[in-house]
Amino acid sequence: MKWLLNNRNNGLDFNLKTKQTDDWVRHLSELDTESDFKIIKINARGEIRRRLLDIGFIKNQKGRVVRKALLRDPIEIEIKGTRVSLRRSEAEFIDVVEQD
Amino acid sequence: MRRRRRRGRGKSGQFDDRKLIRIALAGNPNSGKTSIFNALTGQRQHIGNYPGVTVEKKSAIITVDGKLVEFIDLPGTYSLSAYSMEEIVSRDFVLNEKPDVIVDILDSTNLERHLYLLLQFQELGVPIVGALNMTDEANAKGIKIDHDQLGMILGIPFVKTVGSTGLGIDLLLDVAIKVAEGELESNKRHLNYGKRVEAAHTAIINTLEMDQVFSARYSQHWMAIKLLEKDQDAIKKISKEHQHFDLVLSVAREWRERLEKQFAEDSEVIIGEQRYAYIHGAIKETVSLSGHSTGIDFTEKIDRIVLNRFLGIPIFLGIMFVIYQLTFSLGNPLADGISIMFTRLSLLLTRILPSGPLQELLTNGVINGVGGVLTFLPIILLLFLGLSFLEDTGYMSRAAFVMDKVFHMFGLHGRSFIPFMISTGCAVPGIMSARVLTNRKDRIVTIMVSPLMMCGAKAPVIAMLVAAFFPNNATLIFWGIWLFGWITAFFIALIFRKTLFKGEQTPFVMELPPYRRPLIKNVILHMWEKSSEYIKKAGTVILAASIIVWFILSYPKAPQNTVKDFGKTDVTYSIGGRLGKSIEPVLKWAGFDWKIGVSLIAGVAAKEVIISTMGILYGIDEDVSSQQSHVDFMVKDKLKSDPNYSPLMAFALMIFIMIYIPCIATLAMVKKELGSWKWSLFQAGYTLLVAFIMAVGIFQMGSLLGFGG
Ligand SMILES: Nc1nc2c(ncn2[C@@H]2O[C@H](COP(=O)(O)OP(=O)(O)O)[C@@H](O)[C@H]2O)c(=O)[nH]1
Ligand SMILES: [Mg+2]
Repeated sequence: MKWLLNNRNNGLDFNLKTKQTDDWVRHLSELDTESDFKIIKINARGEIRRRLLDIGFIKNQKGRVVRKALLRDPIEIEIKGTRVSLRRSEAEFIDVVEQD
Repeated sequence: MRRRRRRGRGKSGQFDDRKLIRIALAGNPNSGKTSIFNALTGQRQHIGNYPGVTVEKKSAIITVDGKLVEFIDLPGTYSLSAYSMEEIVSRDFVLNEKPDVIVDILDSTNLERHLYLLLQFQELGVPIVGALNMTDEANAKGIKIDHDQLGMILGIPFVKTVGSTGLGIDLLLDVAIKVAEGELESNKRHLNYGKRVEAAHTAIINTLEMDQVFSARYSQHWMAIKLLEKDQDAIKKISKEHQHFDLVLSVAREWRERLEKQFAEDSEVIIGEQRYAYIHGAIKETVSLSGHSTGIDFTEKIDRIVLNRFLGIPIFLGIMFVIYQLTFSLGNPLADGISIMFTRLSLLLTRILPSGPLQELLTNGVINGVGGVLTFLPIILLLFLGLSFLEDTGYMSRAAFVMDKVFHMFGLHGRSFIPFMISTGCAVPGIMSARVLTNRKDRIVTIMVSPLMMCGAKAPVIAMLVAAFFPNNATLIFWGIWLFGWITAFFIALIFRKTLFKGEQTPFVMELPPYRRPLIKNVILHMWEKSSEYIKKAGTVILAASIIVWFILSYPKAPQNTVKDFGKTDVTYSIGGRLGKSIEPVLKWAGFDWKIGVSLIAGVAAKEVIISTMGILYGIDEDVSSQQSHVDFMVKDKLKSDPNYSPLMAFALMIFIMIYIPCIATLAMVKKELGSWKWSLFQAGYTLLVAFIMAVGIFQMGSLLGFGG
């Protein structure tokens, strides 16, 4: 299931590449546990965007996917030295590139 | 020697000749705000609400070196946007009440995020003192903060504190008072947002200044920033109160659009990013990390188990089970003890007072009522104890993380589990605990369905009915009905979400704070605050309700010369009895007779009253049976032998009792928490409707299928 999702997105939705790197831009929701990432863009509006901003999700911010709950939702993220929890649907608003 | 000063309660007479210094406490959730508030005020606090909203406001007045100082606890928030009640309350308090100084509590181990809120308070144009709390943890992690340097950069004095031991609290108070009195400077200047934003900001201030009354009322600097952020509340204030609001709003829009074009970004984000950039710079110059943090910390070690994908839910259920076990195994004997005491008292009064209305009022009305309130107190205290413990350790957010998916499927928030869980003990504290939900819609839906759980008062009634009619499968049926309460709550929540409370999904974004050892003192204090709220609020209502119930079941009395139907009671002639008789034709659809009708009406006062009312109706003399279990036993016998009652009717009745109108104390708490009787009425109405439909459905279907006999 997860494999399918990744595959689909890599193949169809995201032909974008960032200028500087060769990495694919993906949604934060698609990253595996333990991956490090850098935020490219937040696509949300209104309250959700503001909440994400207030808790530290901004452009170029680095973070890490710590773990996921039973059904891979919600997701725990480490960002700016704290642990925060996001729903999958919220993490979908966040474009990131994976980092090593 | 921490308490150098003499502190005491301020006497009201002293207000005239002395100026009151007002200090507001602010900070992110989990920064240690409650601990510092308690340390500062010595736990003498007044709890109320901010005017017009149901956001809790704690305040306390103490004297320090002969000066009167008032502390006001602002709600713990991450930001000061216009998206939540708590945030708007905080800003409005500062804007309207203009406290002399704000003490902002910061977690030193997480300065970047915590300074973000501090900057927003600074924008409001009030003097600020920063408390660098959790200094002990920062030291342990090798985080070194040059607080003098940080103070120079931000123009704000900083004091290092440890909220849990009280270290640095006296100094903090000292500095705050000095700033309030103008002896020490705290810069009201704001950060520099960069050339382009500053240009827009200045232009907007220039137009704002055209209305001098408005300028004197609000910080223009703050208004200008908020207009750039397109803050809905600020726009509302301008539209209502500014003389030239058209001009101001159009100038603001023009500049905002220009900025958004230049940055190719939304203005709210531009300004947020500027704040972070500024903080980043300040931290780079003042915070250093000595030594390397050694891999996984304590919190992560625990979370690896507690938040494990597969263990998470079982552990959560286990913890809840332990809390219940403790609550009921410790609480029930205490409750029984209290109950017996009141029965004895009642018997005593019966003996010494001449029989008549006064005696009956005291024994059946007042003592029953007070007894009802106090009998529940041990269980409520213990439930709150468990709740405070979970909250103060940091496990609460983990539980929300683990449970969110399930709750979200039904349109609820992960945190809704707290009111649900507590309501399984008693709906009154359950509804109070719905404050953990910051979104109003989440909160309303949760509060509306929480009383559908099996609470400690419904449990004995259900247990008695199960024992009378289903002796062979008693346990199974009892727990089935318990589960039925949960399932109904979930489904009704879903229906509300899809109909009455449609609308935007509310963000789940939330912090998982590090685990910390709670201060026993704070946990106890918290428990006490909540429980005394229960006594104050629920107590008076329950007392009044039991007097009313007593009255409608006793008056008018039977005429002297009539033969009485049931034992020696007058119930048939009373208002309650007549009411029961008059609704009997409708109740019949569900198989209930008038006696059950009367008991159910009485049950609105408090669910456990259903049994004792049946006792009265069957003429069981309470004087004979001083113990509750005895009444139980006799009612059970009577019900079993009544030819009008069948197991099918009993089943319909149990379902009805689970769902129908919550007790009066719950309804009163709903009014208090949601601010209007409208909600209590709505709750009473819909539960009655649903309960009746279900009971009729069960009884009629069952009769058709031949279970009626
Ligand atoms: N180690 C440490 N723990 C603290 C300190 N201040 C508060 N705590 C603990 O942190 C937790 C949260 O504190 P609390 O005052 O409830 O924070 P609030 O959410 O801001 O009101 C509690 O368990 C406190 O005992 C501190 O300075 N050092
Ligand atoms: Mg607190």
